[in-house]
Amino acid sequence: MHKLLIVLLLSLTGCVSQQNNNKLANELRQTTPEHILSILQENKPDTSDIAQYYLNLGYLQLLSGEFTSAIESLSTANNEMQLLSAISITENIAAGTVNETLRRYSGYPLDRVMVHNMLALSYLFNQDIEGARIEMLQADVEMKKLSEGEELSGQLASTHLLSAIIYELLDERSDAFISYQLTENILNKRQIVLPEGLKLGLLRSSKKMGNDQEYDRYSKLYPSLAKQTRLDKQVFILYFNGVVSNKEQRSIVVPSFNGRQLIRVSVPGYPNTRPLQQQASISDGLHRVNSALIENIDTLAKEDLDKEYPSILLLTTTRAVAKYKLVQEAQKKDPLLGALLNLATLLSEVADLRSWNMLPATVQFGYLETNFDNIAISTNNQNESPVNLNQGKQHVILATGLSDKIFNYQQ
Amino acid sequence: MKIQSSFWLAVAATLMLSACSTSVERLDAQEQIDLSGAWNDTDSQLVAREMIEDSLSRAWISKFVQSEGKDPVVIVGRVKNLSHEHINTNTFVANMERELINSGEVQFVASAANRQEIRDERADQDLNATEATRKEAGQEYGADYIMQGQINTIVDVDGTTQVRYYQVNLELISLKDNRKVWVGEKKIKKLIKNSKLRL
Repeated sequence: MHKLLIVLLLSLTGCVSQQNNNKLANELRQTTPEHILSILQENKPDTSDIAQYYLNLGYLQLLSGEFTSAIESLSTANNEMQLLSAISITENIAAGTVNETLRRYSGYPLDRVMVHNMLALSYLFNQDIEGARIEMLQADVEMKKLSEGEELSGQLASTHLLSAIIYELLDERSDAFISYQLTENILNKRQIVLPEGLKLGLLRSSKKMGNDQEYDRYSKLYPSLAKQTRLDKQVFILYFNGVVSNKEQRSIVVPSFNGRQLIRVSVPGYPNTRPLQQQASISDGLHRVNSALIENIDTLAKEDLDKEYPSILLLTTTRAVAKYKLVQEAQKKDPLLGALLNLATLLSEVADLRSWNMLPATVQFGYLETNFDNIAISTNNQNESPVNLNQGKQHVILATGLSDKIFNYQQ
Repeated sequence: MKIQSSFWLAVAATLMLSACSTSVERLDAQEQIDLSGAWNDTDSQLVAREMIEDSLSRAWISKFVQSEGKDPVVIVGRVKNLSHEHINTNTFVANMERELINSGEVQFVASAANRQEIRDERADQDLNATEATRKEAGQEYGADYIMQGQINTIVDVDGTTQVRYYQVNLELISLKDNRKVWVGEKKIKKLIKNSKLRL
């Protein structure tokens, strides 16, 4: 019984590590990704948090321009999530008796697909477009695995959009068109207004692949865009805005029916805050384009948790009953030990607050065609950053509101 | 008491699992082992051997020997990876090179990357080596044919079951006039079933 007490208290170390991680994610809103990265690199992850640790690490490495390290970290996270995709019997028993942090973090549907987006961007900015293409193919397989009828769980518009851009860069016309259409379908289902850049992509790719019927349809839908003259250089801009919400713990403590012990129940939840919507603005001096929403990651994270709620409630109830019975048995033998064990069960009852909590709150997209060699990008109301386009005709630019670093893949 | 026993069982199982240590066992390089179902060394060796055997059994080689009076000189170019996996095509190219050289039916020249290193070395010899041992520039053996290709995949997935279909296409192209003298194709199909449960 004493040993059991120690085990319950030891389980609290996981809780401390979660709190540290959430604190770092909150700090990311105020400081640079490089600073958070340096702190994160000093920490060693718990065995149960490996995937979460490497997801955050890889994302920060990407934002810091450490593309090779980002590929390594994100691949580690991806491999861990693949390994843990099967349901663990022992971890579920532990989650149903002590708390859910004893389960190894296997990633939500959002994580499992988004990891390929981040890997693709890392490969792309590491000058390996074929590596980026492979990640998009893997994301497609992952989305098929996760698809359940008409549900949108694990179906990311940003993934299809990034695929479309990569296919367009590789001049794989039909694949680009299909990916633009898949992006359109998801945005329509989510009732998100189609960004102008996507409409232009649909027009451009349907025309390029010679699909006259679809081109005519889109020309009728977007007549003013269809008339636009094509300019020399294509600029695709992805803008990562803010930081996704952190989960928070919601607990209640109630006395048992006979009043002889306290029962605590803890479940995770997301706060009802809406992330501040900021846009990136791109200008070549003649035209100005604002980035538009393509993925609301905050919403997707909440949907993933909602979907998991039935199993969370089941495990929470099972745990409460198991802990109640355990304390009851202990009280019969020794009231003092019973009281201590009751305290331990209260303290060990923590919600699983793990998630890929350093992701951007939203992913936005902008598209600009220009004849100029220089453009300026302003993010988060900061000063304009100049970007030189004279090394290529096609450019993929990643900007974030968290730092003034701008990455430019050109060909 | 039953609950307490299950509790201990769960804790013990969790600790046991976390105590699993790394073990290493040396294996024969020819042994076929499939872990994840992804493209592996066995696929690479098998495809390279079968495709090179096929290419060397076709009419182009005898026609060349007949008309030119010498063995053809071949170079392996780029094999593009258009599959779903990050495949190291260098090992596949190396396997093909080995099969070609060991066949004894063709002559083989170094790849573009290797050639540059050799040219650098020759340039260095020009400055530093003795007259007797120095190798002259402009004596390289030009290839008659280049072998190029690509690896494609189609993945069909349903929950935890996957069918992966690999198709490797290789072409032998005449450097003199761009004629394709041989086109080879090798297909591999794998059914991968992942467990829904783990310990």
